[in-house]
Amino acid sequence: MPRRIHYGTRALAILTGLAVALAAVGPAAAQSKAPIRIGEINSYSGLATVYTFPYKEGLLMAAKEINDAGGVLGRPIEFIFRDDKLKPDEAVKAARELVGQEKVDFLAGCISSGVGLAISAYAKDVKTLYFATHCQTSRLTWDDGHRYVAHTTNNVNQYVRALAKKAAALPYKKWAHISPDYEYGHNVWEEFIAYLKQLKPDVQVSQENWPKLGETDHSPYITALLQSGADAFISSVWGAQEIAFVKQARPFGLFEKVRFLSASVGNPDELDPLGKEAPIGAVAPGFAWYDDGMQKRHPKLAEWVKKYEARAKKGPTLGASWGYASAYIIVEAIKRAKSAETDKVITALSEGYEMDFPWGKVVMRGCDQQAVPPQWVGVVKMNPQGKPVLADIEETHGRDVIKSCDEVAKLRAAAADKKK
Amino acid sequence: MSGLSVGMFLFLVSVGMSLIFGVTRIVNLAHGSFYMVGAYLMVTLVEVLPDRPWAFWVALLLAPLGVAMLGGVIEIGLLRLIYRRDPLMQLILTFGLILVIGTLVLLAWGPDNKSVPRPAALAGSVRVFGQPFPSYYVLVLGLAPLVALALWLVFYRTRWGMLIRAATVDREMLGALGVNVAALYTQVFVFGSALAGLGGALAAPTVAVALGMDGDVLTTAFVVVVIGGLGSFAGSFISALLVGLLQSFGILVFPAVSIVLLFAIMAVVLIVRPWGLLGRPEQ
Repeated sequence: MPRRIHYGTRALAILTGLAVALAAVGPAAAQSKAPIRIGEINSYSGLATVYTFPYKEGLLMAAKEINDAGGVLGRPIEFIFRDDKLKPDEAVKAARELVGQEKVDFLAGCISSGVGLAISAYAKDVKTLYFATHCQTSRLTWDDGHRYVAHTTNNVNQYVRALAKKAAALPYKKWAHISPDYEYGHNVWEEFIAYLKQLKPDVQVSQENWPKLGETDHSPYITALLQSGADAFISSVWGAQEIAFVKQARPFGLFEKVRFLSASVGNPDELDPLGKEAPIGAVAPGFAWYDDGMQKRHPKLAEWVKKYEARAKKGPTLGASWGYASAYIIVEAIKRAKSAETDKVITALSEGYEMDFPWGKVVMRGCDQQAVPPQWVGVVKMNPQGKPVLADIEETHGRDVIKSCDEVAKLRAAAADKKK
Repeated sequence: MSGLSVGMFLFLVSVGMSLIFGVTRIVNLAHGSFYMVGAYLMVTLVEVLPDRPWAFWVALLLAPLGVAMLGGVIEIGLLRLIYRRDPLMQLILTFGLILVIGTLVLLAWGPDNKSVPRPAALAGSVRVFGQPFPSYYVLVLGLAPLVALALWLVFYRTRWGMLIRAATVDREMLGALGVNVAALYTQVFVFGSALAGLGGALAAPTVAVALGMDGDVLTTAFVVVVIGGLGSFAGSFISALLVGLLQSFGILVFPAVSIVLLFAIMAVVLIVRPWGLLGRPEQ
């Protein structure tokens, strides 16, 4: 009898213990399987889709890898996509809906800098952490930076400085430029010429061109550049507008007379359609994953490209790599915070961290929550198949050129003074 | 010189828009979309046709025909139902068409930028007054006035042209005289669409064929039509040249205000002659 009682008590104790444990673990376990939800706002209609579709492909590729490997903190991640129609007010409307009704944990997205700055201002108001993933203005984390915004891709400052570094090594003194007359164009030209003068004080500016954004006829500027007497010029005109510019400048022989540098002509969205009309010899930054030198330097790159191509049915773009990296950078912050709570994730971000990607090391700098990736500058050439490619890739790292944390602090202080 | 060629593209697009308005009284906001479709069709045709020198010219002929068919479907399927409605409804419909066509183009051709290479014979440049001038623009400068001349012959030397001119003056009377006005509307809309398609096809080798090219051209074409006079054919020609030249010279002389200049001139024209340079005041 006593033994039975003994057993009974033990059994009861074990059962009770199990029940208590289940009661404690049960709901918690169920809860921990609820996805971490990220509201992703970007331009998924209209003219920016040439950039955002590959970007989204990269983002979803990473999300699938992460979830297949068990998610983060045992929870899957889920992106909820919204179209901003390239308009800041539409983006803020979407952000409000995502935070208010969808109750997302974080915000992400942006291709247009105007959209990124608008979401960032909203995120600051409602104290929701926003990961700017695709737009490039340096203002996001610098002049207009705050704790509720992190920038998971390159900013203008880094790749323009990498390009200026290359420009300083070229034997040219007299410089001209063509830049679209809005924030990005001014940003690129000012950063470029300031850094070039810093590296090479005898540089002179011969002539300036400011077409409006979306201009279709560039002949007057082409004539002006031909007559400028400049040795070289830099273009920050981009996308369809730069294709038009290149096609119109070719018959004038502009690229033979004045050396061409461009912030974006090395990207496939411009090189592929230009085809035989591509500006051979142009110096430009770009993600030349197909380049032998690149693949030798980064042995894991070829395999990543193969995986991406299997999904997307075509080669990756710089945007695709940013989408991919952004998902991992966000997840890493959550992993380090051991929580998806906003304040803890911000603390993890502000401590900074480094991650290895198939294309090299990306530093998430703590002081401004800004991504610092490798930078590549190459020269446009024809490959043996008669297709234009970016070749002779020179690699520097963003941390060798980017403005320091002290300089960023000064920028933020100056911006704060201006507001007063 | 390049200002003249820009004027020629503008003329092709705006004369179609002006013609459609003159006869049907519809402000076709989707006209820029027809221009874009013309350019995209050019991309596909040049890709599909064999790589021979004649392919470019065949494509230049077929692309506007494709746009004409699209215009016909839209006129018969949609616009015919709303001619008697409030003009505001017509604006909303054609505005809706911009979004629909934009989305269809994205689905059909994808998001990537496209480009049409210039035909080999016109890839280089010629010397004009000692300055290099792209040969392709010489083609444009030659072709557009030919189109203008053909249009003039059609309008002033054929019965069909006479009917169109009559329709711009008094549609009710024309109908009362036994003319099939509905068929005339369709023909004019198809013809106007084809002109927009030709403009797009001809412009394709000088620009990137990309989403968003519809909006750019629509704004400028609209300014051209307003300055020239809605419904006036000669007005469109003069005003297109004016705007083309203004854009080129304006940039050189007053770079900071060249965009404003265009709209300032439109405003002046609207104040002094609200019906445009060569338009007719409404009775």
